[in-house]
This record gives sequence, structure tokens and C-alpha cells, in this order.
Amino acid sequence: MDKVRLLMSAASFCVAASICAIASAHGFVGDRFFPPTIATDDPFAVDELSLPEVSFFTNSGQDGAPNSSKVDTGWEFDKEIFPHFAIGISDDYVSQKGDQGSTSAYGWDNLELSAKQELWHNDEHEAIVSVGLVTDIGGTGSPSTANRYTTWTPNFYFGKGFGDLPDSLDALKPLAITGVLGQAIPSDRDVPQSFQWGLALEYSLPYLEQQVKDIGIPAPFKNMIPLVEFPMSTQDTQTGAGYLTGTINPGVLWETDYCELGAEAMIPINRASGAHVGGVVQIWVFIDDIFPNVFGHAIFGGGSE
Amino acid sequence: MIRKIFFAFALLFPSLAWAHAFLDHAQPAVGSDITDPPAQVKGWFTQKLEPVFSTIQVFDSSGKEVDLKDSHLDSSDQKLLIVSLPALPPGEYKVSWSVVSVDTHHTHGDFKFTLKPKP
Repeated sequence: MDKVRLLMSAASFCVAASICAIASAHGFVGDRFFPPTIATDDPFAVDELSLPEVSFFTNSGQDGAPNSSKVDTGWEFDKEIFPHFAIGISDDYVSQKGDQGSTSAYGWDNLELSAKQELWHNDEHEAIVSVGLVTDIGGTGSPSTANRYTTWTPNFYFGKGFGDLPDSLDALKPLAITGVLGQAIPSDRDVPQSFQWGLALEYSLPYLEQQVKDIGIPAPFKNMIPLVEFPMSTQDTQTGAGYLTGTINPGVLWETDYCELGAEAMIPINRASGAHVGGVVQIWVFIDDIFPNVFGHAIFGGGSE
Repeated sequence: MIRKIFFAFALLFPSLAWAHAFLDHAQPAVGSDITDPPAQVKGWFTQKLEPVFSTIQVFDSSGKEVDLKDSHLDSSDQKLLIVSLPALPPGEYKVSWSVVSVDTHHTHGDFKFTLKPKP
């Protein structure tokens, strides 16, 4: 299975990188650059490549079972097919080990396919709305680490920058928020549905320095975007009461010419969400800057810079 | 697996690469208060610019363009965009820039500066 997946991954990457002619790793609305975020998906249907994303976390043991440490190493590739419409593919390699060394599991998670359509954006108010569908394809991962059932998650995405605030609130203009709301619907009816929602609150130091007030922040800090992400899940229960799990992820994104480096802590909001603080690091490659003749525009119908 | 993907990625890297152009700094500085009327507005960018598609303009508080409409790149620095100004009265001014880097990526933005009366 691993060899098959290796071939699929390498082939999809190489074919996409060499044949396609589209998409941007850059999400702009008006003067605002919305960076790709780590834990919650952004609203942009653009060319993006995440390689790699590595997270480490300690899951709480349930019903007296020991905690388990989990390391995920993943990648994601998105390609703009038509203007403002992109499809994506992603996967994770999962390494899970019981705290007492009792159980271990290694293998690929299910392949995940996605489609996203930007519906509306307003340059003046730095606002954007998108919809999409994410499909976790059951049975494509390793039996020990992936679900056998498929899960469909229709999503609603939004983003809003606050550069349109009055001048008296200049200090708040670098703020921006992005979010995603979706209902995860498993194909196995015995598995409960869950409401997946997430927010990312960002304060862009590049926006502050370039659009609002140059306060002389030195490099590399002037290219950093501190943020807090809130990836959450409310699982349906038989009683009808929601069962909330998630993490609060404070971190920072560092924008360079050709990639974005990001790091976040993962603080579980309750015992069911995790036993200890975890962490995640990620590299987003700005493929439209590295391959400007290949990426940064839709395959059909022109670009959507 | 990851090592092989990195290898494939390395093979696909071009020998040259460019990036989007962003404003690095400006004169007058972004959001600054000044008392001496500037003869020019200068914007230094993070990448080399295409001269034909890169402009910088200055507007007064009523939205009227007040620069001398001679936006141009510096002859010795392809990252420096310049526009000349007449003698400006005190007031708040908005600088709007729209540039295309040499890899054809378009970016734009604006900022304000305030010319205060001399004490």
C-alpha cells in the first residue's frame, strides 16, 4: 500500500507541477494579503503547496486507556482549474505510539480531495466568501491508521480584513479574520456527524509597515504575522447535545519571498481534546513565485491574481 | 517517501526565481507626519519592477491627484519607484502604488502621510 501511495503522490505532484498552468499561493483581496493558515483552511481557491506539515500531539486515553503520542507528516497541493475554482489533494503519514509503549500504529491516512469556489469578494472591504467540499476517501489509507468509511464535508469559508476601519483605529487595521464552517458527514451511519468550525485571527506586521505606519520593525520580524487559530469540532450525540473538542493554536507565520514558514502551539481546550500541549510546523511553498510561468493562473479561462 | 518527494521537487526547481513585489519602505515614510514639503515620493520595493506597468500616485484629502504625473523607476535602481510633487500645502495625502514585478506578478497598495504646518 505504501508503495502504491508513494507512486500516486509522486506522480500527482510531478504531473501537476509540470503540466498545469495556474494558481497562486497568494490570496489577495484589495490591498490585503491573507496568508495560508495552518490549522484552518483559508478561503482562497489558488495554487498552493504545503510541503511538509508536521504536527505532534498527545491524545487523551479514553476509558482508562493510556495516552498516545501522535506525529502527522503531511502535504497538500491545490491547483486553480478555472478562475476562482481550485481542486486539491492532501494526505498525512501517521505515527502513533502509546505512552507506555503498548500500542503503535504507522501508516498513511486516507487521501483527501477538495474543491473550492470563491463566490464573492470586495476589495475595498477586504472581504471574501467561498464554498467547498472536502472528501476523505475511506479505505485509501493504511488499515491501522485510517478510517474505512468516507466522510464528506461541505464547507463555507470567509475572510475579512480590517483595513477599512476609520483612521482613529489605525492600530487595528492590520487585523484580519478567516474562518471555515462545515458539517462532516460520514458514509457509515453508525459514526456520528460533526460540525467542524475554525477561526484564524491574524495581526499582519507587513500590513502595518506597508499600509498603516512604518514603525521601523526590523527584518525578519516585519515580515511576520502573529495569529491564533481555533480549530474546533462539535460532534453530534444521541442526546442532541454537542460534544466540543478542539485546540487553541497561538503561533506565527513568517513570509519570505518564496515560502511561508509557520509554527503554532496546540493547546487542548478540554481533556477530551488532548492530554498535553502539542505543536505544528508547516512550510507553504509559493509555487507561483518559484514557477511563475507555470503557476499563478487558472488552467482554463485565464488568471485570477 | 518525504525524501523522494523533496528530491522530485528539487529537480523541478528552476535556476532563477522571482517573487511578488511588496513595498519595503517609502519616503515620506508610511503613516508619517512631516513638516517639510517633499519634492518627491519614493517607494523602495522588494523586487525589481517592470517600468511600463508600475506607477505611484499622490492624492490630496479630496481625492484629487496632486503629483506631477511623472512616475518612473530610478535609473540606477529598478526597485525604486519615484514621482515628483509640486509645492504641497499642509494636509493629509494618500500615496497609491501599483506595480508589476519582473515575473509579471501584480501587487498594489496605498498609505498616507501628513504634511503639517511648520511651527
